[in-house]
Order: sequence, then C-alpha cells, then structure tokens
Amino acid sequence: MDDLIAARSTMAFSLGFHIIFAAIGMTMPLFMSAAHYLFLKKKDPACLELTKMWLKGVAIFFAVGAVSGTVLSFELGLLWPGFMKHAGPIIGMPFSWEGTAFFLEAIAIGLFLYGWKRMHPWVHWATGLVVGLSGFASGIFVVAANGWMNAPGGFDWIDGAAHNVDPVKAMFNRAWLHETIHMQLAALQAVGFAVAGIHAFLYLRGRAQSLNLKAIKIALVFGASAAIVQPFAGHFAGQRVAELQPAKLAALEGHFKTGPRAPLYIGGIPDPDTQTMKGGIPLPGMLSFIAFNDINAEVTGLDKFPREDWPHVVIVHLAFQIMVAIGSVMSLAGLLFFVFWKRHHFPRWYLRLLVVFIPLGMIAIEAGWIVTEVGRQPWIIYGIMRTRDAVTPVPGMVYHFYLFLVLYLVLWCVTGWLFHRQIQAVQNKFEDAP
Amino acid sequence: MIDILVFFIGASLLLYVLLGGSDYGAGILELLPAGPLREKQKHVINEAMGPVWEANHMWLILIVVILFIAFPEIFTTLMVALHLPMLALLVGIVVRGTAFTFRHYDAIQEPRSQRVYTLLFGLSSLWTSFWLGIIVASLNRGIIDPAASTFWDAYIAPWWGLYPLAVGLFVACIFVFLASIYLISETDDTTLQRRFTRHAAAANGMVILSGGLVFAASFLEGESLPSVFFRTPATLAVMALATLLFGVLWMFVRKRNPLFTRIVAGGQVTLILLGWWLLYAPDALVTAQGPLGFYEGAAPPATLRQLVIALLVGSLFIFPSLFFLLRVFKSR
Ligand code: HDD
Ligand code: HEM
Ligand code: HEM
Repeated sequence: MDDLIAARSTMAFSLGFHIIFAAIGMTMPLFMSAAHYLFLKKKDPACLELTKMWLKGVAIFFAVGAVSGTVLSFELGLLWPGFMKHAGPIIGMPFSWEGTAFFLEAIAIGLFLYGWKRMHPWVHWATGLVVGLSGFASGIFVVAANGWMNAPGGFDWIDGAAHNVDPVKAMFNRAWLHETIHMQLAALQAVGFAVAGIHAFLYLRGRAQSLNLKAIKIALVFGASAAIVQPFAGHFAGQRVAELQPAKLAALEGHFKTGPRAPLYIGGIPDPDTQTMKGGIPLPGMLSFIAFNDINAEVTGLDKFPREDWPHVVIVHLAFQIMVAIGSVMSLAGLLFFVFWKRHHFPRWYLRLLVVFIPLGMIAIEAGWIVTEVGRQPWIIYGIMRTRDAVTPVPGMVYHFYLFLVLYLVLWCVTGWLFHRQIQAVQNKFEDAP
Repeated sequence: MIDILVFFIGASLLLYVLLGGSDYGAGILELLPAGPLREKQKHVINEAMGPVWEANHMWLILIVVILFIAFPEIFTTLMVALHLPMLALLVGIVVRGTAFTFRHYDAIQEPRSQRVYTLLFGLSSLWTSFWLGIIVASLNRGIIDPAASTFWDAYIAPWWGLYPLAVGLFVACIFVFLASIYLISETDDTTLQRRFTRHAAAANGMVILSGGLVFAASFLEGESLPSVFFRTPATLAVMALATLLFGVLWMFVRKRNPLFTRIVAGGQVTLILLGWWLLYAPDALVTAQGPLGFYEGAAPPATLRQLVIALLVGSLFIFPSLFFLLRVFKSR
C-alpha cells in the first residue's frame, strides 16, 4: 500500500465511521424530542419511557460521534496539508458555522442529559430540540464544504494559488444544495428505519407491544416521509452531477461512449479495459432522460476524458447501484407505512420486513458517499488540484492507517456490545411486566 | 481582524486548559489508589464532569478550526512536523471520551467492566495531557524544519528531548492541581474533601517541582528558554506573581471559600499561560528557518472577516448558553 492509498483509505475509513454516528447524532435527538413532546402534551408515560430509552442511545452515539469528529478535524491537516493550505481559507465559512453549531449542540446535550428536574419541563424539552436542530445544521454546513470540493467556486486559481477569495460564494457553491438536501433526508431515513426495525424486533418478541408500536410510528413518520422523497432528491442530485461532473456521471452509469439516447443499466459490471458493460439490463434512452429530461440528449462518456482522469469505474458503479436499489425498496416500504398507519394495523410480515431493513439505510449512506467521493477522484478539488498533490509528505502512512483501523474496529465492537446490553436491559425490564 | 482572531485562539486555549484541564486532571486522579473512597470519588467526578465534558473539549476544536481557516500556513506546518505527537494525542482523545461515556451509560453496571473503563479513562487522561504538553513545548524550539531531509530531522527531532518531556509532566501536574481544587467543593463528604485537598497540596508541590524541571531541561539542552526568560521582565513578574499566589490560595482553602479558591487557582494558571505567551508573542511558531507569526501568511481579508463574524455571532449564542449550563448545574 503506498502512502497516498494509505492516506485515502484512512480518510475513507474515518469518515465512513464518523458518518454513522453523525447521522444518528443529528436525527435521534429529533425523534427523542418528538417523543418527549408527546409525553409533555398528552402525559403518556410510555412516551417518557421512550424518551429515556432513546436518550441513552443518543448519549453513547453522540460521544463516539464527537470524538471521531475531533479526529477528522485534525486529519484534514494530518493527511491533506497540501489541500488545507489552499482550501482552509476558502471553505472556512461553513466550518466556522459548523463549529458554532457543534458548540451549541455540546452545551445543549449537557443540559438535556443531566437536566431532568433541574429546569422547567418545557425549557428542558427545548434543550433537547436544540441538540437536534444544531446537529442538523452542522450536518448541512459540513456537507456544503464537501460540495465545494465537488464544485469549487468563490476564488480564482492563478499559478497554483487562490486569489480573490469569496467565502460566501464558496459556501453556496453549485453542489451544496443537492448534496445537503439528499444527505439530510438520508440521515432521517436511515436512522428512522433502523430505530423502527429495532422496535419491531422487540414487538415481535412480544415485549411491551404498545410502547414499541408507538416507537415505530414516531421513528417512521420521519423515516418513511424522507424515504418517499429521497428518490426525487437523488434524481435532482444526478442531474446536477451530469452538469457539474460529467466524468463522475459516466462512471456512475458505466457509460463509456459519448452519444445520444444513452442507455441506463440495471445491474451489470463495467469493464474499463474493453470499455463495455458486462451483463445488466439496458433501458435505452433512460440515462439521457434522467440526466437531461430528454431521451435523445447526448450524454458525455468516459471516452471524452483521458484515462488518468477516470475515477474507479467499477467501485463507483457498484456503489451507485446499491444505493439506488436500496432507495427504491425503502421508498416502497415508506409508502406501505402510511397505508398501514391509516388502517391502524401493521401486519407481522411488515414488521419482519422492518427488522430486515435495519442496516439498509446505513449501507445506502456509505454507498452514496463512495459514489460522491471516489467518483470525484483523481481530484481533491474537482478540476483544480489532484489528490496526490495534496497528500502529506510524512512517510509510513500505512501504520497510521492500521492504527486507526484497529482503534475504530475495537470501538465498533465495544459500541455494538454496549448497544446490545442496552437492548438486553430494556428486554429484561419488560420481561415481568408485559 | 487578526488581533481578534489571535484573541479568540488565546481565550480558547486558556478555557481549554482551565476547563478541559480539570477534566483531564480528574481522570488522572482516578488512577491514584483511593481504597474505600473509590466509588464515591467516581460518583463525584461523574456528576461534576458529565454535563460539561462535551462543551469542555469544544475549545480544542475551535482552536483547530480557527487555525486552519485563518492561519493555514501554521496549521499545515504543525500537522506535518508534529504528525506523530498529534496522532498520539488523537488516540488519547478517542479512548478518553469513549471510556468516560461508556462508563456512565453502560446499561449493566458491573464491577469488572467498570474497572476497565475507569482504568482506560485514567490512563488516557494522563497520556493525552502529557502529549499536549509535548506539542506545546515543540512550538518554539526552532527545530521544526519543513526543509529537513531525514525522517528523524523532519518528524522526530521537533518533539524529542528532555525539555518537551518536562513540559508534558508540568502540564499533567497543572491539570491534577486544577482538578483537585475544583473537586474540593463538588462534594459534601468531608473525607473526600480532605482527600482532594491533600491531592491539591501534592499537585501544588509537583507543579513547582516540574516547573523547575522544565527550566533545568531547557538549560541542559542548550535551549533559549532560561536566557529569554530572564531577559523578559514582564514574564518574570507574571511568574513571580503566580508563585506568590500559592500563599493566598491556601489561605482561601483553609477558610473553605470555594469560589475564591477556584478563582485564585484559575488566575495562577492564567498567569502561567500569559507568561508563556509574553515570551513568544507574536510568533506562533519558531521553525528552523525563523519565526512564523500570525501576521504573515494569514488567510485573505474576506475570509478573516467572515470568520470573525461567525465567532462573534457564535459567542452571542454560546456564552449565554454556557452560562446557563453552569448555572443550572452549579447552583446547588
Ligand atoms: C439513505 C441513503 C440514500 C439513499 C436511499 C439514496 N441516496 Fe444517493 N446519496 C446518499 C444517500 C442515499 C448520500 C450518502 O447522502 C450522498 C453522498 C453525498 C451526498 O450528497 O449524498 C449520496 C449521493 C448521491 C449522488 C452523488 C451526488 C454528488 O456526487 O454530488 C447521486 C447522483 C445520488 N446520490 C443519487 C441517488 C438516487 C438516484 C437514489 C434513488 C433512490 C439515491 N441516491 C438514494
Ligand atoms: C461523512 C461522510 C463522508 C464519507 C463517508 C466520505 C467518504 C470518503 C471516501 C470514501 C474518501 C476516499 C476517496 C478515495 O480516496 O478514493 C474520501 C476522501 C475525502 N473526503 Fe470524504 N466523505 C464524507 C464527507 C466528507 C466531507 C463532509 C468532507 C469535507 C468537507 C470530506 C472531505 C474529504 C477529503 C479531504 C478526502 C481526501 C481526499 C480525496 O481522497 O479526495 N468528505 N471521503
Ligand atoms: C457528511 C459529513 C458529516 C456530517 C453529517 C457530520 C455531522 C456531525 C454531527 C451531527 C456531529 C455531532 C456529534 C453527534 O451528534 O454524534 C459531528 C461531530 C463532529 N464532527 Fe462531523 N460531520 C461530518 C463530517 C465531518 C467532517 C469532514 C469533519 C471535519 C472537520 C467533522 C468534524 C466534526 C467534529 C469536530 C465533531 C465534534 C463536535 C462535538 O463535540 O459535538 N465532521 N459531526
């Protein structure tokens, strides 16, 4: 493994780890506030029970999210000094607002977790809401920074340095809108379904059924709505990518040859050497339609780009297929939720389905980020700076990678184990009082 | 603009040392044998640190963010030359934060896993404060060399040696001192209070001792600290005042005046930082090629303006809510 690959893998692994906790950290507090609200309004003790149950999850995941986020803010410099030297000042604005939002979040979470009985109930409720809202805002800010890497703007690049920096324009770059909308929906949907799935599991085990049913409803009001909207947001993202990063779009679709009436493949593995798709079902003209709303539009293929500027086609294409497949089934499951909710009856097969769906949203998030980030390669600032020119000169990055690999794998196991114990404790609690 | 940003960095550093520092110190205290008081002490520390630890460690992130937005040159030079100590620091931060949270939120509280969490929390607190000291010590030695050609010169030499080691020890002692002083009035239990007072006294001694060690190490390694120190009357005065205040501190401890005890201890640490600042300002960093200040290589004015706005608006929200947090939990 050379140093560049090691640094890229470290970044990928750290972000892939952080995003799961970040997604939970910014959406669970919203669910929790909803449950807490229902308790304060309707005095339903089951909702208080739920709030306290979710609060423990929030506390654990928040802490891991916070430390892995701290690691990331250092890693930007530890791994990519060549990038940060130029990019830091340009995308500083979203990061500084993100910092502010985190700070508020960190204060609010202290108040919420330890503030029971120390504040007026509604003030206490509001601190919980602030945790959710500022987490949500901070997510938007970081993703806007990522949008800038994909669609850099707000500066002039002259002789290898940035001039005329306009931080506001850099923050509201041309990719920020589709990325933030899509990501925030993704977090709601992934966490909503995961939470609902866990409660469906407890329900099917016959534990505290009315409580678990309430939990499923609260989580899925958010999750299912997001899941239904998500394919549209994804379509919007695809159109923006077609315009901003044609090489990425071509890699997503395994589209090698430029031409009109471009087909969309379902399944299949692209082969970069023969520049063909192996297997897969072609839908003629669909790619042209998706990218430009016109089945006869010409779609740029990878042949228009020098080979060294291609992203890794196989990885990007597979990740994209996984994301879209999951997005499609989850939006159907989301629709079904509203149907069953109206009928006041959730069939057992649907609850079993929810259990199967627990990991799907998170897998789609990881896949989506692989599409975005691997699809951006070989550029770290799209069209401006190559990733290999940004990497740290420090040798032996493999060891850095292994160190974090081990650290994070251990953390994963411990967090998983703690979470398991949490659920076990809940189960035991309801054992004697069904 | 730059002055405001430097002020924010300084203020964040101070708050990180005062607030985060007592947080680290509490972890180190838990490493010391406590016999039958162990459980009670753990409880006090959980209660005292739990609500604020997330907020405490945000100061560090604020420093990092300001550095990379406004002073990218300094940030990247540091992150390259001090890659290894930064890595060590990060590992410590990760282990510490998770061990502390897991200990509190483990659904099944059994002695065995609790002991493991506590041990990890303590060890990583010591480890992290130590590396923090090493990093701070490396800033001004003039050994950081972006043009170095060997691995040793580029990535090890900047932080290697007796002097950084001594500063690491000094920082850990300061943190224990802050934590003990802070914790004295966090409990009503008199035996525990007496224990914290004893630790504060011991740490007090250790701070003076390790401070002397810092000078000795610097002198032995032929570094500039002693000569610069005695040529800078402001620093000399500040340090003398910090030392004199120990007398005042112990008067307040004896009178059981928790508020003033804390203020004086905080004031002493503030003076120590101020002294260090006066020695080197306005250079943030001294490399082999010469000093790297805040005024050279800063980000363009448009960026600085945005950052200052964000920080000022942020402060408008953050300080009142921080105040609220402290009021809710400290008004018992
Ligand atoms: C639950 C998660 C999830 C689901 C179900 C989907 N996505 Fe997605 N997708 C993401 C989670 C995600 C993400 C992790 O949030 C990404 C990564 C970066 C971003 O902005 O969103 C992403 C990126 C992303 C991109 C690249 C954007 C860019 O590079 O700027 C495209 C084109 C799509 N998605 C398209 C889709 C389509 C057509 C879907 C059909 C249903 C879909 N996504 C479902
Ligand atoms: C949390 C969700 C994210 C995930 C899962 C993710 C994933 C990845 C992956 C897989 C890579 C490696 C790509 C490769 O080298 O082939 C990468 C690289 C990188 N990402 Fe992201 N990313 C995320 C968000 C962000 C955000 C918000 C930013 C910045 C503001 C960012 C900045 C970077 C940088 C600087 C690199 C290294 C340079 C590069 O490889 O191009 N990422 N990320
Ligand atoms: C899509 C990408 C990202 C999202 C959505 C995201 C979101 C979040 C959220 C919600 C938290 C709060 C902790 C929690 O609630 O669990 C968090 C923590 C943190 N994140 Fe990220 N983050 C992302 C990527 C990054 C990147 C690239 C950085 C690097 C600068 C970063 C830096 C941080 C820091 C410093 C914290 C700790 C803040 C605290 O103590 O609360 N994040 N992140």
